[in-house]
Amino acid sequence: MQNYLLKQKTFLLALALIFCATLVANAQSRTVTGTVMDPAFGEPVPGATVVVKGTTRGTATDLDGKFTIDLQAGDQILVISFVGYLPQEVEVGNQTDLTINLREDIQSLEEAVVIGYGTQDKKEITSAVVGVKPEDFNRGNIVNPAQLLQGKVAGLSITRPGGNPNSGFEVRLRGLSTFGANSSPLIVLDGVIGASLENVDPNDIESIDVLKDGSAAAIYGARGSSGVILVTTNKKNNREGTTNVSINTYGTINQATNLIPTLSVEDFIQRGGTDFGSRTDWRGEMLSDSFSSSTSASISGGFNNTNYLASVNYRDNQGVIKGVENKRLNARLNLRQGALDNRLRFNINLSVTNEDQERVNNDAFRYATIYNPTAPIFEDSEDSDRFGGYFQRSITDYFNPIALVNQQKFVSEIKSSLFSTLIEYDILDKLTLSAQFSQDTRNELNGNFWSKQDFAVGFGANGSAQRTTNDRLRQIFESTLRYEYDFTNNLNMALLGGIGFQSTKNQGFNARSRQYLFDTGWDNLGGGSIRVGNNTEMSSYANEDQLNSLFGRANFNYRNTFFFSASVRAETYSGFGANNQTGVFPAFSLGTDFKRLFDLGIVSQLKPRVSFGVTGNLPPSPTLAIGAYTNGNRIDLDGDPQTTNDVYVGIVQGSNPNRDLKWESKQELNFGIDYGLWNDKVTGSVDYYIRNISDLLFNVPVSPGTPNQFDPGRFNTVASTWVNLADLRAAGFEFALGVNSINLGRVNWTPNANFTIYDKTTIKSFSSGDLGFDELRYATPGSPGQNSNPIIYNRVGQTLGDTYGPILQGYTEDGDYILSTENPDEFEKVGNGLPKGEFGFANRFAYNSWDFSFFLRGVWGHTLYNSYRGFYENADGGSNAYNSVITDKTPTNPLVTAAPTYNSSYVEDASFVRLDNLELGHNFKTNSKNISSLRLYFAAQNLFTITGYTGIDPEARLTDANNDDGFTSALSPGIERMNTYFQVRSFTLGLSLNFK
Amino acid sequence: MSKHIKNIFLGSLILLMGACWELDQEVLDGVTQEQVNNSTDPNLIPVLKASAYSRIIGSWGANEGIWSLHEVSSDEVVVPTRGPDWQDGNAWVRLHRHTWEPSEPSINNTWNYCYTAIGEINNLMVQYPTFPELKAELSVLRALVYSWLIDVYGNVPISTEDDLGSNPTNNSRQEVFDFIEKSVKDNIDLLIKEDQKTVLNYYSAQAILAKLYINAEVYTGTPRWAEAEAAADEIISSGVYSLTSNYFANFATNNAGSSENILTLPYDENNATGFNLSMMTLHALNQQTYNLQEQPWNGYASLEEFYNTYDENDLRKDNFIVGPQFSSTGARLNDASFEPEDPDGAPLTFTPKIRELTPKALRQDGARIGKFEFARGSNSNLSNDYPLFRYADIMLVSAEAKFRQGNTAEATEIVNQIRARADVPPFANMTLEDLYNERGREMFAEATRRTDQIRFGKFNQAWWEKAPSQPFRNIFPIPQNQINANPNLTQNPGY
Repeated sequence: MQNYLLKQKTFLLALALIFCATLVANAQSRTVTGTVMDPAFGEPVPGATVVVKGTTRGTATDLDGKFTIDLQAGDQILVISFVGYLPQEVEVGNQTDLTINLREDIQSLEEAVVIGYGTQDKKEITSAVVGVKPEDFNRGNIVNPAQLLQGKVAGLSITRPGGNPNSGFEVRLRGLSTFGANSSPLIVLDGVIGASLENVDPNDIESIDVLKDGSAAAIYGARGSSGVILVTTNKKNNREGTTNVSINTYGTINQATNLIPTLSVEDFIQRGGTDFGSRTDWRGEMLSDSFSSSTSASISGGFNNTNYLASVNYRDNQGVIKGVENKRLNARLNLRQGALDNRLRFNINLSVTNEDQERVNNDAFRYATIYNPTAPIFEDSEDSDRFGGYFQRSITDYFNPIALVNQQKFVSEIKSSLFSTLIEYDILDKLTLSAQFSQDTRNELNGNFWSKQDFAVGFGANGSAQRTTNDRLRQIFESTLRYEYDFTNNLNMALLGGIGFQSTKNQGFNARSRQYLFDTGWDNLGGGSIRVGNNTEMSSYANEDQLNSLFGRANFNYRNTFFFSASVRAETYSGFGANNQTGVFPAFSLGTDFKRLFDLGIVSQLKPRVSFGVTGNLPPSPTLAIGAYTNGNRIDLDGDPQTTNDVYVGIVQGSNPNRDLKWESKQELNFGIDYGLWNDKVTGSVDYYIRNISDLLFNVPVSPGTPNQFDPGRFNTVASTWVNLADLRAAGFEFALGVNSINLGRVNWTPNANFTIYDKTTIKSFSSGDLGFDELRYATPGSPGQNSNPIIYNRVGQTLGDTYGPILQGYTEDGDYILSTENPDEFEKVGNGLPKGEFGFANRFAYNSWDFSFFLRGVWGHTLYNSYRGFYENADGGSNAYNSVITDKTPTNPLVTAAPTYNSSYVEDASFVRLDNLELGHNFKTNSKNISSLRLYFAAQNLFTITGYTGIDPEARLTDANNDDGFTSALSPGIERMNTYFQVRSFTLGLSLNFK
Repeated sequence: MSKHIKNIFLGSLILLMGACWELDQEVLDGVTQEQVNNSTDPNLIPVLKASAYSRIIGSWGANEGIWSLHEVSSDEVVVPTRGPDWQDGNAWVRLHRHTWEPSEPSINNTWNYCYTAIGEINNLMVQYPTFPELKAELSVLRALVYSWLIDVYGNVPISTEDDLGSNPTNNSRQEVFDFIEKSVKDNIDLLIKEDQKTVLNYYSAQAILAKLYINAEVYTGTPRWAEAEAAADEIISSGVYSLTSNYFANFATNNAGSSENILTLPYDENNATGFNLSMMTLHALNQQTYNLQEQPWNGYASLEEFYNTYDENDLRKDNFIVGPQFSSTGARLNDASFEPEDPDGAPLTFTPKIRELTPKALRQDGARIGKFEFARGSNSNLSNDYPLFRYADIMLVSAEAKFRQGNTAEATEIVNQIRARADVPPFANMTLEDLYNERGREMFAEATRRTDQIRFGKFNQAWWEKAPSQPFRNIFPIPQNQINANPNLTQNPGY
């Protein structure tokens, strides 16, 4: 044994000697020059460090990115590094002039995640937070920033059935967490709570961070229940002393698609349809391909302690139906100025948005689909003269769609501005005081017009016009104190404390008159001679509320291995009942990076985490707890119409007060794992959440005339009261996976996938105090003739929003339905409008300067009531006037001759996969002194959809469009109404240009 | 150092704790209870009182309201299913065939309509305990509402200003009867005697009693014919009211001055809405007949059997709209959506015959309800004041009470006054059946037929498209929604 060791030592010594000899032999000095470039910008990188590996000898690049370094014998490898880029090692070999392309360190850019009131290193995050960067945004004709995220974040559902450029997107995070007005996530724009996404030009967005779980959102207390989306506008990655000018412009062609097939004229007549002698393709007449465009310009830069961004964006979206248009101008100025060695920082953000909407009566879509195809658009008769020459017939619910589009007009002018100023001061190195004041204003002016010749409304009213305004002013002041401390380098701690004051005022007026000599419309309401009664209006409204908050948070990081965070927010809201004015919303989360504890091989990160948080939701109106008197009938005290000095408007107790009214409460427990493989080449996360939502704010039926249990000493005077009622339970599983650049020969492929499985929301109870319900039913198919039976049943113990109906068992020989029952109490569950799951699958391919990407999105497990089929596919008596739809699901043998009757066959599975987005782009190489990048791209949206659904759009309907009451509409999902705007397919050609 | 941090953190927390103070919510566009309490405006109390009345104006005459419930369950009005129109989950068929469920909208609407008025009245009485006149009038107003509830549902909870405890339970029909009787009797002498048709007076209070007593046997099992007669005759002998020469003057758009109407709901198409009969009964094309602002809904019609109970010469046959229909300029109206099976073809023609109740009644089928004048150019609401109590009704109550007590001569004499006005020959030997039919013809579409049918034992019989029904159908079920909202309520027997 000893001998053996000795032999080894001798051998090693000999080896070392040989090695040294070789080195000496090669020892000779030489000089190497090089240029360090950023290929993304096509610019040199000044100030980069160039070091010989294993030594301290090095240099820095000059303003042109050039460097010169003397190498000694044995110097083989240079290490080039610069902030924001991955360090790169270059083997010199025999080269004397090197060009080094640095790659951006995406990891380090992503590292900072915006959370409420600050940022956190991604590695420290212990709750479910997802950041989305501009390069992952959806492309094409982006009408609303919400579209940027569609399908990108597991659990974040963004829908807009149909292609109406004027309608907003429904955004839901982790399914339904409330019934009420605040079911969309809270938007926090550059720290301003409750801002609107519509006021941001998508080009100005630097990052969007989604706080998914209750723990992350709890710092926003009583506004956080529906989740929080934090939007940060541009502070572009500007290098010192540079100015960046960028221009983005595109043009889009939109076309209507997926029109429901209807009977041919011949088939229509053969079925007994009245032949008026003409041939009209109503949808063809109403629709046309439309053009949209957007242009934005921005200047940004930085010098010394100043940073700025100024941008203007104008976009014009025309609808595929004449008379629909959305024009929007966004302007933004972000300024940041540091003083006192940058210890005092001023931020001013100012944005202004002007939006002009033109809309039509969306029932035109229905009439264009089912109007008699033998009717002419115009007709030469005495009758039609009164209707402006349009063909019209007095049949219930039957209007010439072209006339409807042309003779009713609806416009809105919306002016909004957001002003915010933030001052931060570092009292000590790690102690920062900040104060932010913001003012968010939105002024909406609407005009509605019904021509004298409009058969639907204006004819009876003899012309009618209306002006309404809706104005909102919100002011927020918040102040925080942040402190960070390292305990002996092992434990890092960050503390935050803050107060907030928010007041919101809403007000508006409404004036409408009728009976005009000329169709002067809303520009001259005085031209209408009649100002009381139907089709007239004179009213105004106003309300103001106040929300005060106090909050704190503590984050702990132990050796970058164990992470813990806890927060609490207390909120006092003027609109809560006197008995319950302050709510407290606590949260905690913790996580451990196993990679730092164990050797996990290829696993580069494995961070299990668990979090729990309580969030709330505010009442939809601040005066619900009070129950004020509202206007009653006009009362003539002496009954003599000749004397008017004794005429008053009566007051009635139009709502039942609830002194106990309080916030909704959502408790959410989240288990998650963040993982990375192969040095984070593959990254992703898995989350499972369970949420219990209680005390939902809800307007429930009560027995009028009985004592009001929520306002002792008084009686109920209306049949419903706002109470904190239901308990819901929901859960879900979210999975995200991304791979950073897979090399497929010369093509780089970057796939990203996410999917979500919803364990649908279950109703645990519908009770509060003595009040209790076994079920609540909503949403009837509608008029004509199907007004009575609601079809969405919400039953305790069942999932929320179940569609119930009689089962269609077949047809009789003469075409009547055979239904399982007529009794609504015996209806069976035939569907549910809320999806079971969703997925998004994004792919980007890069080949030299070309890139190609496509994005598939799927939603499954939801049903839709197809109301076109439910009303207009039978060969019944009505169908001599209406055309009928014929879909793949329309029964033809026998033809159904019974009047349309709601049943299970109209509730269809609406699962779908859609190619949402496709883009082909080319980055031109440029040697221009002025142009840093030039990109041309072609994008297509909504190219195809794979679905078995036969209606207009299989997109899930989370709320019912026909239910005006925003608070019960969430309880009636899964109904596609016939006034749905048709689907639109878009093709975009765009150009992005950046100047040095 | 860590102590230092702790101090800063705790110190700022304490400082900030003061931030969450109590916040007062202002009401900017309404009136708070406090403002009402503090107001000294002399007009406030009269306006508040009138507001309580406006609750009962409300939806009396609206589709799916109390009028619908009374009329469609009786044998004088029907809402046929015209293809897809008015199919409404067969609610109208069930109401016609007496197979209704506790969840029917019109049954729930009627309850809410009555009890919201009661809630409003009770709150006013809690708030103003010291005004004897106000309290008297409100007590009788509440009794009026209970007189509808006892008729429709029977066993309803009595809710007064003193019952501020928990959710009420049902009272028996006898208890409700006693409550109405006592409320009226205790307060009747405090009411005005002037003929003010839109507020309760001494005579309308007597009318409440007359109609309560005439139905006493149905409500309580014990007939009270003599008291019914006395209450009715108190009105008749006062001489305040009289039959108008023109029957239809009582139902005209400007009927406020009618000498025959005792208590009316003063509808106004602009300021006091809720009477939509023109919309409910007329065909869409009739928009051009009356230059209406909106298209009517083509629903309510009369049964052919009922239509045929009128003599050819009976002036009251104009209670119905039948035959060819014209525009306001005299042009024949043509229905572009007529069914091929319709013998009248496209020209709009109302026929008393209805092909079937469901599902394929023709769009032009059925005699329409034309008793109330439809003002030219009106909107979906009518301005006709709706007579809750009418002198002719009180005369017929008096006649019936007399007849049932054996005084057939006087009874016949009264009924013949009413027949004379309608230009039909007097009865020589009037039977109870004659009286019943006369009541039907006279009171058509005034929401009394169902009550009369029950009192005369006709309600459970078969008629067109309706089989005999069970006696428990003589009262409607407690609406399912009300039982859901108040579990202390028990359902009526049979449901």
